[in-house]
Amino acid sequence: MTKVEIKGLEKNFGKLHVLKGIDLKVEEGEVVCLIGPSGSGKSTLLRCINCLEEATKGKIVVDGQVLTDKKTNINKVRENIGMVFQQFNLFPHLSVIKNIMLAPVDRKKLTKEQAEKKGMELLARVGLADKKDQFPSQLSGGQQQRVAIARSLCMEPDIMLFDEPTSALDPETVGEVLDVMKELAKEGMTMVIVTHEMGFAREVADRVLFLDGGYIVEQGTPEQIFGNPQNERTKSFLDKVL
Amino acid sequence: MEALNSFFELLLESWPVLLKGAGLTLRLTIVTLPFAVLLGLISCVLGMTNIRDLKIISWIMRSISNVYIAIIRGTPVLVQVFFIYFGITQFTGTKMTAYVAGVICLSLNAGAYLSEIFRGGIQAVNKGQMEAARSLGMPYGNSMIKIILPQAFRIVIPSTVNQFIITLKDTSIISVIGLMELTMQGKQIIARNFRSFEIWIMVGVIYFVMNYALSKVSQYIERRLSIDKGRN
Repeated sequence: MTKVEIKGLEKNFGKLHVLKGIDLKVEEGEVVCLIGPSGSGKSTLLRCINCLEEATKGKIVVDGQVLTDKKTNINKVRENIGMVFQQFNLFPHLSVIKNIMLAPVDRKKLTKEQAEKKGMELLARVGLADKKDQFPSQLSGGQQQRVAIARSLCMEPDIMLFDEPTSALDPETVGEVLDVMKELAKEGMTMVIVTHEMGFAREVADRVLFLDGGYIVEQGTPEQIFGNPQNERTKSFLDKVL
Repeated sequence: MEALNSFFELLLESWPVLLKGAGLTLRLTIVTLPFAVLLGLISCVLGMTNIRDLKIISWIMRSISNVYIAIIRGTPVLVQVFFIYFGITQFTGTKMTAYVAGVICLSLNAGAYLSEIFRGGIQAVNKGQMEAARSLGMPYGNSMIKIILPQAFRIVIPSTVNQFIITLKDTSIISVIGLMELTMQGKQIIARNFRSFEIWIMVGVIYFVMNYALSKVSQYIERRLSIDKGRN
């Protein structure tokens, strides 16, 4: 089943043409990694998938709902799309468990008790059950990002988007976040990941997309992209980062 | 020794009258502040209105707020008091007590500045907070109430209390329309005994004590609400 379908997506920021025509399909359970130089439009593409950026042109369908249609209830669709940010964006005035419980209770997906129970399960899963009453500022970056993942998962999404989830982390905490993501991938979560962690992309991705200058320049399995890139720009990018 | 004696004599003599004035100053401030906060909130909401499907209405609402703030910021409080107390009453042929004119003037004044403070506070909350709330499926209003405003509230406390203090001090301007608040009482005493030096010190000290207390309360609230309270 196709989870995300993007056709002819273009995005302008004023005069800046960031995405120049993107076609992309993501199947259920697929893990897609977006790589490319900064400014290539990876994050913008990802943010278009849950409408944090509005498409200038083109069509985006998620879970059978047309996001680019103004009549679509975007809040409803977003409930099924988890998003993890580079800067974690935990709510600093709420404790860890309250961060996780907030949206499911607000959206009436779960009662308070259910949300707390589920939140604790998820915290245990990301290895942070003992931190439930702490505040985000008391946690390390890696711990915060794991809480952020748990927060997204508590809405029971069927797609997860990751926007450079490890770029703001200390090197020694990158691993713990990537481990949680690998776990998720193994369980069959549909994931779209913008990342600079080539090793991770190679290991986890079903498909790797190389973006440059607002286009998907090349895509294929990790073996194809990392082992035998065809496009000159892909080659020179990979030469620099690998 | 002589001078000291006579100072205390004067103090004892003037104290009841000055305190009465201070009482009115305080009352004027306390009555003004809720109106000012309300005006500030309304103007802030108007000023930040940006509904995609109602572009023109949004523009009008923003303009109301902008014009209001521009007028208040662009004219002296003194002129505003005169305009409200003498100008408006003459134009409409109504009567207004100095107290009511004072409350209206100070509320309008503080409301405009508070509006800007509130807007600044909301905008100071990291953009990622709204994005995180929205991407969890929460509508704009709920995200605002549960995520943005609690954080903005903490941010605006110091500047809001600062504005409260300014308002308390601005009540002295209302003395020009004959309200018997602290400054006016001081003036009256001096008119009788010509002892400017001592009386203005007393008046100043009373203002100082009230404002100092206010700023201490603010610091206490700030500490209590600090987001980082968990961190030692």
